[in-house]
Amino acid sequence: CQKDLELQPEDNRQTAESAFQDPQAYRQFLAKLYAGFAVSGQDGPAGNPDLTGLDEGFSQYMRLYWMMEELPTEEAVIGWNDGTIKDLHNQNWTSGNEFIRTMYSRIMYQIAQANEFLRQTSPDKLDSRGVDSSLQAEIKTYRAEARFLRALSYWHALDLFGNPPFVTEEDAPGAYLPEQISSAELFDYIESELLAIEGDLKDPMANEYGRADKGAAWMLLANLYLNSEKYNGTDHYADVITYTTKVIDAGYSLVDDYQKLFLADNNTNGAQKEIIFPITYDGINTQSYGGMTFIIHAAVGGEMDPDNFGINGGWAGLRTTSALVNKFLDDNDNSIEEVDDERAMFFTEGQTKEINDISNFNDGYAVTKYKNVDSMGNAGSDPTGDFPDTDFPMFRLGDTYLMYAEAILRTNGDKTKAVTYINKLRERAYGDDSANITASDLTLDFILAERARELYWEAHRRTDLIRFDQFSNHGVWPWKGGVPQGSTTEAFRDLMPIPASDLGVNTNLEQNPGY
Amino acid sequence: GTVTESATGLPIPGVNVIVKGTSNGASTDFDGNYTLENVTNGDILVFSFLGFKTEEIPYQGQSTLDVTLDENQATLDEVVLIGYGSTSEQNATGAVEKISPEQFNQGAVVSPQELIAGKSAGVQITPPGGAPGEGGTIRIRGGASLSGSNDPLIVVDGVPLDQRGVSGSRNALNAINPNEIEDFVILKDAAATSIYGSRASNGVILITTKSGKKDSPFQFTYDVKASVGNITDKVNVLSADEFRNIIESTPGTNPDLLGDTSTDWQDQIYQTSVGAIHNFTATQGIGNFYYRANFNHTQQTGVLKGDYYQRDAINLSLNQDLFDNQLKLSLTSKNSLDQNHFADRGAIGSAVAFDPTQPIYDPESPFGGYFEFTRQTNGGITQQNLATRNPVALLNQYTDVNQVRRSITNLNAELKMPFLPELKAVVNGGFDYAEAHGHTFRPLASAANTSNINQFSNYVNYNRNLLLDTYLNYNSEIAAINTEIDATAGHSYQEFFRFSDSYGTEQDQEVDFPVSIDRNALESYFGRVSLDINDKYLISGSIRADGSSRVAPQNRWGYFPAASVGWKLQNEDFLKDVSWLSQLKLRGGYGETGNYEIGANYGYLGIYTPSVGGASYQFGDQFVPTLRPEEYDENLKWESLRNYNAGIDFGFFDNRLSGSVDAYYRETKDLISVVPVPAGANLSDQLLTNVGTAVSRGIEVALSGDIARSEDFNWSLNYNITFQDKEITKLSLGDNPNFFIPQGGISGGVGNTIQLWKKGYDPYTFFVFRQVYDQNGKPIEGAYVDVNGDNQITEADRQPYKKATPDYFMGLTNTLNYKNFNLNFTFRGSFGNYIYNNTESANGFVEAGTNTPSDYYSNLNSNVLDTGFQNSQFFSDYYIRGADFVKLDNVSLGYTVPGEKVDFKISLTASNVLTITDYEGLDPEVFGGIDNNFYPRSRRFVLGLNFTF
Repeated sequence: CQKDLELQPEDNRQTAESAFQDPQAYRQFLAKLYAGFAVSGQDGPAGNPDLTGLDEGFSQYMRLYWMMEELPTEEAVIGWNDGTIKDLHNQNWTSGNEFIRTMYSRIMYQIAQANEFLRQTSPDKLDSRGVDSSLQAEIKTYRAEARFLRALSYWHALDLFGNPPFVTEEDAPGAYLPEQISSAELFDYIESELLAIEGDLKDPMANEYGRADKGAAWMLLANLYLNSEKYNGTDHYADVITYTTKVIDAGYSLVDDYQKLFLADNNTNGAQKEIIFPITYDGINTQSYGGMTFIIHAAVGGEMDPDNFGINGGWAGLRTTSALVNKFLDDNDNSIEEVDDERAMFFTEGQTKEINDISNFNDGYAVTKYKNVDSMGNAGSDPTGDFPDTDFPMFRLGDTYLMYAEAILRTNGDKTKAVTYINKLRERAYGDDSANITASDLTLDFILAERARELYWEAHRRTDLIRFDQFSNHGVWPWKGGVPQGSTTEAFRDLMPIPASDLGVNTNLEQNPGY
Repeated sequence: GTVTESATGLPIPGVNVIVKGTSNGASTDFDGNYTLENVTNGDILVFSFLGFKTEEIPYQGQSTLDVTLDENQATLDEVVLIGYGSTSEQNATGAVEKISPEQFNQGAVVSPQELIAGKSAGVQITPPGGAPGEGGTIRIRGGASLSGSNDPLIVVDGVPLDQRGVSGSRNALNAINPNEIEDFVILKDAAATSIYGSRASNGVILITTKSGKKDSPFQFTYDVKASVGNITDKVNVLSADEFRNIIESTPGTNPDLLGDTSTDWQDQIYQTSVGAIHNFTATQGIGNFYYRANFNHTQQTGVLKGDYYQRDAINLSLNQDLFDNQLKLSLTSKNSLDQNHFADRGAIGSAVAFDPTQPIYDPESPFGGYFEFTRQTNGGITQQNLATRNPVALLNQYTDVNQVRRSITNLNAELKMPFLPELKAVVNGGFDYAEAHGHTFRPLASAANTSNINQFSNYVNYNRNLLLDTYLNYNSEIAAINTEIDATAGHSYQEFFRFSDSYGTEQDQEVDFPVSIDRNALESYFGRVSLDINDKYLISGSIRADGSSRVAPQNRWGYFPAASVGWKLQNEDFLKDVSWLSQLKLRGGYGETGNYEIGANYGYLGIYTPSVGGASYQFGDQFVPTLRPEEYDENLKWESLRNYNAGIDFGFFDNRLSGSVDAYYRETKDLISVVPVPAGANLSDQLLTNVGTAVSRGIEVALSGDIARSEDFNWSLNYNITFQDKEITKLSLGDNPNFFIPQGGISGGVGNTIQLWKKGYDPYTFFVFRQVYDQNGKPIEGAYVDVNGDNQITEADRQPYKKATPDYFMGLTNTLNYKNFNLNFTFRGSFGNYIYNNTESANGFVEAGTNTPSDYYSNLNSNVLDTGFQNSQFFSDYYIRGADFVKLDNVSLGYTVPGEKVDFKISLTASNVLTITDYEGLDPEVFGGIDNNFYPRSRRFVLGLNFTF
C-alpha cells in the first residue's frame, strides 16, 4: 500500500512541474505578480486570500499602501472602528498596529512571489522543461518586469520601514529567519536592480497596457533618487533630473481634463497617455474589496449620491482635513466653492470643514476625486455597482513634472522648463493661464503645496512630507497627534515600526529607533 | 416462573429464557415473571442475563419453574472495548470510561453527543446552539492542539470517522441514531489511545451500536418522543420609545428617518419549536443468526423560523455464528437520509440591530412588501447597501435546503483458528459514504440580494472513507507462571476522499465553480501485549506506526508507543479479607500520540493555484487569469503528544460507593499552528507549521454511589469533577516573550479580535484594556489603565486577562427507581470561565446606532443605558464577564406499565430546564467564550411513549 501514500492534487491545484507544462503558466504567474498589487487573492473579489493575518479586503496591497501614505497626513482621515485604524491619523501607532503589520507582510509577500517567479524561470529551469526559444525570449522580458515589481515593493519597504528583511531568489521558501538589510544597502540594491533590467524592459508605452516598461522603471529610479537623503544620507537630485527628463522626453502627455485621470475609463480616455504605470482594476475581471473599491466606496457617505460615483452605496469612512482644503484657498477666498482650481474636488453639503469627531462622516469635507463613471458619466462595467473599473495611477506625468521641478530647485538649476511644466498643470486645472506662476513663485514651499493640490489622495503625501521634514516633529494639521488642533509628534515616526509579530519570530531583526 | 437474584432475592427483569436450540423463548417482566409455552420434557431451558451466570435447567414437566441466578463476577466486570480488542474494567490500565444507556441524558435527543454531556470526568461537551440537529463540541482533556483539530477521534463499530466531519451535514454524528447506541467508551489517556496513533491526541470515543441477541424471541418496540420548545430569553435591546429618545437627543441625527411603529424584532423571528422522534425496532435471534433492525424518523423545527431538520434512518445489525462459533460474522449498517432547511442566521443579528420604530411590512416596498431601508436613484428605488436588513424578510426570502445521504457500513469477521483456539483472526472492512445535494436561493426581490439577478447555488459533496483492518489476537492463560496474556498485532489502511462541486451566481453572473478534490490515506501497523500476572499485576504495552500521505516522505512514518501498569490491590493477601473493600486498583501509564488533522492534505508540497472569479489582471486587451504558488513547509509533520497518567479505581461496600481519580500531565510538541512566518521566508504571511509546545494538566474525579438498593427502591448518584489547566509554553520560531498571535474575531469593526495566543497563557485568554471606573462603578468612556506608563493609551496597553475555559467543571446524574416510577436528572456546572459579551460591545454605544454609513439608524443594546458610551469600546475588559454556571440539563419522570402482551412506558422530560448564573447575556455557555448573535437554546418539554410487544 505504501505507494498509495504518494498522493498528488487532483483538482485545479497543481505541483510546479505539472503547472509549467503549460506555456501559458509563465504569463499567468507574471499576471499574479501584478495582480498582487490590485486584488487580495485567487478568488475575486474574495474567498481565497493571499494573506490570512487580517481580513482579506483589508490586507489588499493598494488599499494598505494608500492608507499608509494618506491617513497619517493632512489629506485624509477615516471614521471607522477597525482595530487601530485611527492611530494612523493620530500618529500614535505602535509596532502592534495590524495595518502596518499587514502592509509589511504584503510587501514581503510580493517580494517572495517575485523571487519564486525568478526561480521558476531561470534559464536552467526553462531548458530542463524544454521551453522553446521564442517563449524563452518573452520570459526574459517577464523576468525584467518581475524584478521591476520586486524593486517597487522593496522601495515601498525602504520608504516605510527603512530596514526590512531581505530575501532574493537565492532563498528558497521555508521557515528560516531572513537577514535584515540596512536602508543604505537596500537603496543600492534597488538601484542596481533597476539599472540592470532597464535594457530588458520594453520601451516606454511599447508594452501591453498594464505592464511595466522603461518609463515605469525610470519613475521608480527618480523616486528613489528624490528621497535618497532619507535612505542613505546622500543626495541624487541630478539623477532625478536625468530620469524625469527621460520620462518627459519619452512621449507621455497630459490628459486634457484633470478629472479624467480618476474615472472608470482612465485606461482609454486619454489619461492612459499621462499614466506611466497604473494598477489596473476592472468591475468584472479584477475585483477586490481593497484598492479602488475601497478608495471610491469609503469616500462616499452623508448626502453624497452613490449614483454619481457609479457605485451602489458608500462606506462612509474617508474625508479630508481643513489643512488640505485650505491649500486651495487664497487669503481672499472664504469658501471652497468659489475656487476655480478644478482639482479642488470636495463635497461640502452637510459636511463641516473642521472635524469635531473623526468617527462622524459629516465632519470634514468629503473628496470626490475618484469615481467609477466614465467621461460621459456612465457607470462602470460591474452592473451591481460594487467593483470599479477605475485604474489607480501609481506614476503619472503630472508627478514627473513636479519631481523635475523640485530637483531643479534643490540643485539650483535652470527653472525655465520647470515653470513651463508646472504651468501646464495649472492651466489644465484652471482652464486658462490665470493662475500661472513665474520663476519667482517656484519655491520648495510652493512645490510641497502644489504636490498636495495636484496629487492628493494618490498615495504620495507621507513620502513628500518626510522629504520636506514636515511629517512628524514639524508640521501640524487637525488631529495630528490625536488632538483636534493638531500637534507635532516625535521624529522617529518618519519610519514605521517593524511589526512586533515579525520581531517575535525573526530574531535577526532589530526594531527601528523610538518604537 | 420467577427469576430472582440469589444474593438479594430481588426479581430480575429482562432475563432471556429460551429453549435451547430453538427460537422459542421469552423474557422476564418487571417482576421477574416469565411464561413459556410449548415446552416438552427433556428440553433444556437457558436463563441468561448480562452480569449473571447463565443457568441451564432441564425441563421436567413443571408448571412453575423458579430460578435464582448468581452474579457473575467475571461478567459483572464489564467488557470494555479498547480499540482492536477489549479488556475488562478490572483489567484496564488506562483512563477508560464506559457510559451505558442507563446513564444517558433523557429527552428528545437527536445528536449522540447530547447523550453523554456531563457524564464523564475530563470530557467537556458544549451543547450546540438552538438549531435543530446540531451537535455539541466535545473536548477530552481540553484538546491537545491549537490550529489543528481538537475533536476526538470517533470510532463507530470499528470504523474511524473522518475527523473533518461531513460537508453539508449539521452534525457528522447524526448518522448514528441515539436510540441505537449500546454504549460509549471514552479513551482519555495515551496508554489507552495510542493504539490509534496519529489520530489519538484528542482522545478517542468508541461508539458501539446495539445488536440482536442470540436465541432470542422476536421483539418489536415502538418508541416515540414528542417535544415542544421555546427560547428562554432574548437579547436586551432598546424599545421603540427608548430608541427614539436616544436618536432625538443625539446631536446631528435626523429623527425623520425613524418610523412610527413599535416592533419587537426578536419576537418576530423566533417560534415555538416542535419535534417528534419515532423509533421502530425489531430484534430476534434464530439459532445462530440474530439481527436487530431499526427505523427512525426524526423531525424537528428550530426556534428560529424556517429552521428544520429531518432524519430517516435504517440501522441494521446482522450476526451469524458459524462452525460452532468458530467464525463470527457481523454486518452493521447505518443508513440515513437527512433533510435540512437552514434558516438565514443573519436574522439573529438583524433582529437585535433593526430599528424598532419601523414596521415589518411596507405596502410600497419593492422588496416583496417588506419594509427595508431604501434610497432613490436614477433608476428608481433601491436598497441602502450597508443598511441592516429586515430580519423577517431575511428568513422568508431565503431558501437553503439540502439532503445528505449517508451509509456507515462494515463487515466484521472473527475466526478462531481451528488448530489454536486461543488465536483468532479478525478482518474488519467498512466504508462511510456521504453524499450531500444542496440548493440555496435568494430572489431579486430580497433586499439582501444586491445583484440584478436571482442569486442561487447548487452544490454537491461526496465524502468517502474506506477502511480495511486485519489483525490477530492471542489470548491464553500460561498456567506455569499464572499469567494471562492477551496479544494483538495488525495492519490497517484507510483512505479518505472528498469531492465538492458547485454551480451558482456571483454578482450578476452564473459561474461554474471549480471542482475541489481532496484525497488522503493512512497506513498503519499496530500491536499490543497485555499481561495479567497472578490476577494482581497488570502490564500493557502497545505501539502503532502510522504512515500518512499528508506528510513528506522523509517524515512520513510516525511511531506511537505506550506502556502502562496496574496493580489490583484488592487481590493481595493483606486486603483479601477486608470485606468492605470491593475494588482497589492503582494505574499508571505513559504514551505518545499524534494529531493527524493538520489542516492541509498537501501541506508539504509546493502547490500552484489558478485564480477564479474576478481575480484576473489586465495585460493589454486581455484579462489574464493568474497562477499563485502556495506557501508550504516541506518538513510539515503531525503534532505529537506525550501523556502521563496516574489513576486509582476503588469500590467500597459491595461497590455501593465506587469511583476513580485520574491525574494527567500532557505535553504537545511540534504543535501544528498557523503562525506568522518570518516575513519574506515563505509564500504567505502565515504558515501552517510545527511550532511550539503546550502543556496541560488535570485531575479527574468520578464518584458513584448507590444510596438505595432494594426491591422497590433503587437510587444512585453519579458525580464527576474535572480540574484542568492548559498553557502554551512555546509559540514561535523565535523566543521573544512578547510575541503573541491575535485570536477570537469579534463583531464590530472589521478584523477585530479579543483573544490571543501567548506563551504562558491558556489559548482562550482574552486580550483587553483595563477599564477605569468612576466612584459609582460606572465605566468611564475611553479611560483605560496606562499599563506601560507612556502617558497614552495604545494597543501596547492591552493585557491578557481571564479566559474562556473553565478552571473546573462537574456533572451530577441522579437515577432513581421506585416501583414502576423512575426519576432521572442531570446537573452540569462550569466554574472559572469568562465570556466576552459581544452583543453589548458591538451595539452598546450610541454611535453604533447613529453613525451609520447611510440614511438609517440601528437599534442599540440596552447596556448603552448603563454605560452611556458614545463610541465603541470593543477592547474594554468591562465586557469580560464571569460565566460560571450550573445548569439543570434535564429532568425526566417515567412510569412503566407492565402488560401481558405489551409493556408500556411513559415519560415526561424537560431539558435545558434551569441555568443558575450571574451572566446577564443570553447564555453563559458559548464555546470559545465570545457571545455574539448566539442562536438561543430552547427549553424543551418531551413526552415519551414506548411500547414493547
